[in-house]
Amino acid sequence: MQVIETFGHYVEKLSDTDPAKARVLLKTGWQAQNLKFRFTPDKELLPADRYLARLMMDTMLRPLKNPDQSVLVSVFTPCELMQEVGLSPYNVESFSCYLSASKAERAFLQTAEDCGISETLCSYHKTFIGAAKKGLLPAPRCIVYTTLACDANLLTFRELAELYGVPCFAIDIPACRTKMPITKDDGLLSPDDANVAYVAEQLRELAAFLEKHTGKKINEDSLRERLARSRRTLANYDRFQKERVDKYIPADLVSPLYCGMTNNILLGTKEEEAYTEKLLADLEKAGPARGKRIYWMHIIPFWSDAVKNVFRLNENAQIVGCELAQVANLEAHSDDPYEDMAMRLLYNALNGSISRRIEAGIRHAKETKADGVVWFNHWGCKHTLGGSQLAKKRFEAAGIPTLILDGDGCDRSHGGEGQTSTRLGAFLEMLNAGGAEAFKV
Amino acid sequence: MKKTYYVCKYTPLELLTAFGGECENLNTMPEGFDYADEIAHPNICGFGKSVLEAVLAGQVKELVLVNCCDTIRSVYDLLEDSGQLDFLYMLDMLHTMSPVSADTGDAARADTICSRERVAAQLKDLAQKYGEYKGREFDYEAFCKAFQPKERTQEPHLAVLGARMGDELFEMTEKSMPLPVVNETCVNNRSVAWTFAEPQEQDAGPDAGTQIANDGLCHEADFDALMDWYAGELLGQLPCMRMLDTAGRKQLYQDPSLKGIIYHTVKFCDFYSFEYADIKSHTDVPILKIESDYTVQSSGQLLTRLEAFAESLALNPKIMKNISRPDLSAGKGDGTGLDGNMAGTDDGSNFAPGQHEKGAHMGKGYFAGIDSGSTSTDVVILNKEKEIVAGIILPTGAGAAIGAERALEQALEQAHLKREDIDAVVTTGYGRTAIQVGDKSITEITCHARGAHFLNPSVRTVVDIGGQDSKVIRLDADGSVKNFVMNDKCAAGTGHFLEMMARTMEMTLDEIGKAGLSYDEDITISSMCTVFAESEVVSLIAQNKKPDDIVHGLNKAVAAKTAALVKRVGGEEAYMMTGGVAQNQGLVKTLEERLGTKLIISEKAQLCGALGAALYAADME
Repeated sequence: MQVIETFGHYVEKLSDTDPAKARVLLKTGWQAQNLKFRFTPDKELLPADRYLARLMMDTMLRPLKNPDQSVLVSVFTPCELMQEVGLSPYNVESFSCYLSASKAERAFLQTAEDCGISETLCSYHKTFIGAAKKGLLPAPRCIVYTTLACDANLLTFRELAELYGVPCFAIDIPACRTKMPITKDDGLLSPDDANVAYVAEQLRELAAFLEKHTGKKINEDSLRERLARSRRTLANYDRFQKERVDKYIPADLVSPLYCGMTNNILLGTKEEEAYTEKLLADLEKAGPARGKRIYWMHIIPFWSDAVKNVFRLNENAQIVGCELAQVANLEAHSDDPYEDMAMRLLYNALNGSISRRIEAGIRHAKETKADGVVWFNHWGCKHTLGGSQLAKKRFEAAGIPTLILDGDGCDRSHGGEGQTSTRLGAFLEMLNAGGAEAFKV
Repeated sequence: MKKTYYVCKYTPLELLTAFGGECENLNTMPEGFDYADEIAHPNICGFGKSVLEAVLAGQVKELVLVNCCDTIRSVYDLLEDSGQLDFLYMLDMLHTMSPVSADTGDAARADTICSRERVAAQLKDLAQKYGEYKGREFDYEAFCKAFQPKERTQEPHLAVLGARMGDELFEMTEKSMPLPVVNETCVNNRSVAWTFAEPQEQDAGPDAGTQIANDGLCHEADFDALMDWYAGELLGQLPCMRMLDTAGRKQLYQDPSLKGIIYHTVKFCDFYSFEYADIKSHTDVPILKIESDYTVQSSGQLLTRLEAFAESLALNPKIMKNISRPDLSAGKGDGTGLDGNMAGTDDGSNFAPGQHEKGAHMGKGYFAGIDSGSTSTDVVILNKEKEIVAGIILPTGAGAAIGAERALEQALEQAHLKREDIDAVVTTGYGRTAIQVGDKSITEITCHARGAHFLNPSVRTVVDIGGQDSKVIRLDADGSVKNFVMNDKCAAGTGHFLEMMARTMEMTLDEIGKAGLSYDEDITISSMCTVFAESEVVSLIAQNKKPDDIVHGLNKAVAAKTAALVKRVGGEEAYMMTGGVAQNQGLVKTLEERLGTKLIISEKAQLCGALGAALYAADME
């Protein structure tokens, strides 16, 4: 632990004086960590999650090695088009997560706040802005983002486009009015059919934008094949979630979070499909289910010792799913690749009213036979915070005990480790004591 | 008739009016959020909570929202669930209103046109639902008449920019300022004009626009064209910060008649901090940043900042040139006569606080300044030569007025003077308006600047950490305030924070002041919230960490918070530290390390505010 602290301290310190050197240090440190993943992986994790740790680190290293071949994206940006023109995803949320894991987030948060940016802005966005302003994080080839699923996207990417002076493309997503879940019958005949067309049109323009800025052509057949892979990948993951119901899959805090990242920004790649195939293979070897099963809504504060103590590789209590890995509607599909991506964006569980998100959460939690749900109120995420009490009411009405947990997925200074520990401990005691029976309907 | 309330400038007010709606901007600040906190989370924007509060208190029965931001989306979710409204609608306004592609300046993207179509579809949906609710048909004449474009002043004025400002706070702002104030925030700069070209009968064709039938009603096909035009007008307004392209907002601060900006943000609304960060580095116009949580109480706390800004404007000859102002002394009587009063004279150009106060009486050439702080009340008496003849520091105790009387008595005693020997008294500090003995009150910002300049004219930045707040003030070479910033309502980074931590560690303030000077382990206290930091300290004590190391960690936390304020205000050498916390040697050392410079600490550091006040009293001679 001390090694990480020292590493983070030097990255922070060097960013003040020599950002280029700080970047080299950051890259070297992460490469060393990747070697560790490769040669001395966490033996307690099953093969798929060991593979995932390497896959994610490879994804993080690519923009540091070849920033000119990367595209800065928000987490729900469909990346298949970028993959077609050879650009690797450079994801704001993931980078802030990794900087936080390297214990280097504080100085960057402070830099952003010193510029006048609100301290109530989501810490994922603020960390990245601070690190970019300090010169630690390199300029990408271009920026592509969506207005989904929070206000911070609008602000952060506009700021970064100006800072880096690179081309920027925004995908404006109308609010979804279609109820959850969407069935095959809804499809393009839903109340959102015109909205699908609106988003698809923007995606066609995005294709032209990418072609212009990379000099490469997008082949529609190849894109169609890539989207078919995306669907297979999501279907595999969905099957894994449904079939893990009677199994014990050892889980740490980061793997479910990685899934949230990779199931979005790496969707369409062979590597991500391979990961889901490995997950299904792991199911075959997994032992019977044991311990309390928790479905997690929103991001997981992986850095928190209080959360680690309760859930990390613990047979008595484990996180069996994370909302962010299951945002897509598998039923909605179009043979037109642009409409297909548009539907994935528009029908995303986080788009529109909080009710859609809650309904998706209830369905996914039930599929994994979750004993309880944690609704994580990440500081600065206003829609999550605003809907938290409504969510608790609806989850519990559906028979799922729910804990609202306040904290921060990235910024340690917003933690209250003592409170987190007490709340989680009491919640599990309640589940274990059968107090949860009151919720069963 | 029930009013239909709205919150956003993109709301189609003219359309609602055409169906008989009486629209009103929902903009009052509540006393608190008792109802809202029952169903929402405290950490969402205060304005959103004020909407919840108004509805749940039964004041609002019809509400048309726009999906302005994540908080308003949540407000809609919660209100829909509550079932408290007779009519509730949320317009899904897209974020595109002009070309988005930032790299090339290409022609308008196709989705710009599409976004107008999508908004037009929303307008028609709202029209159908609102018409059904009201039981009325669309009235074309009422629609045309409802358009009221905003007229912009060409006279010298100040503007409130940024996030929406509640009515009560805006009134307070208007009263505090030396120039007329225009509200350009959020919903208040709505400007939709009636520019629809009604086609001549002979020109009417399929694409010629709306055709109004002889019966005066707008029929379906015509209505579609009208709504398409209307959607474009709504989208074409000066953009708010939730739009993808905000370049048009520059006109808000590039207006030549604009003399100062009060930039307002609402706690937990992140949109406008980005614009503030941009504006402050792109304008020469004086700018004050304030933040409210949308309660009436939070506005009271902002009065000091508004008054200090008004004082700095009044002292700026460039701003007040050709503008006459009768009296800018705020808080001590009527701050009301601030509307208008602009004449083409030079009378006001040399205004300084203290020029026009009441009852200057003949004494023996002594002047007193009283600084009534939350912890201590300080008094300085100067003679005609501006030499300090008395300086007193007393605990404020239960009441500002009594504390001030007592401190003044002791100061007079120290100087062997009587009350009638004093020609003028100026009060400053939090309790300034409660003190009856003063002839005038001036904010502690202006007084600290004046005092610091008097003590050391080379000072350009004053760091003042007091019991209740911390502030950083930038000075001009002549000692007037160039810029300033204060901490928010949170106690983190203030003397009170250190006091709380000293109590937790069972140390006196003196002990904690010396404890952090040397340390072995470099501990970081990560929580800045006083409550969480306290629990971190408790856990460090339980881990047997050395008190010196813990105190150093606390000093680092306060220094980081203070250094952030210094950066925000653009601190420059030389730095002076004032306020009671300047006595804390450990913190001073840590802050010096953090800023990479030495802090000048005068032996009269704690008297700085009172000294400035006394200097202003001397000006009254």
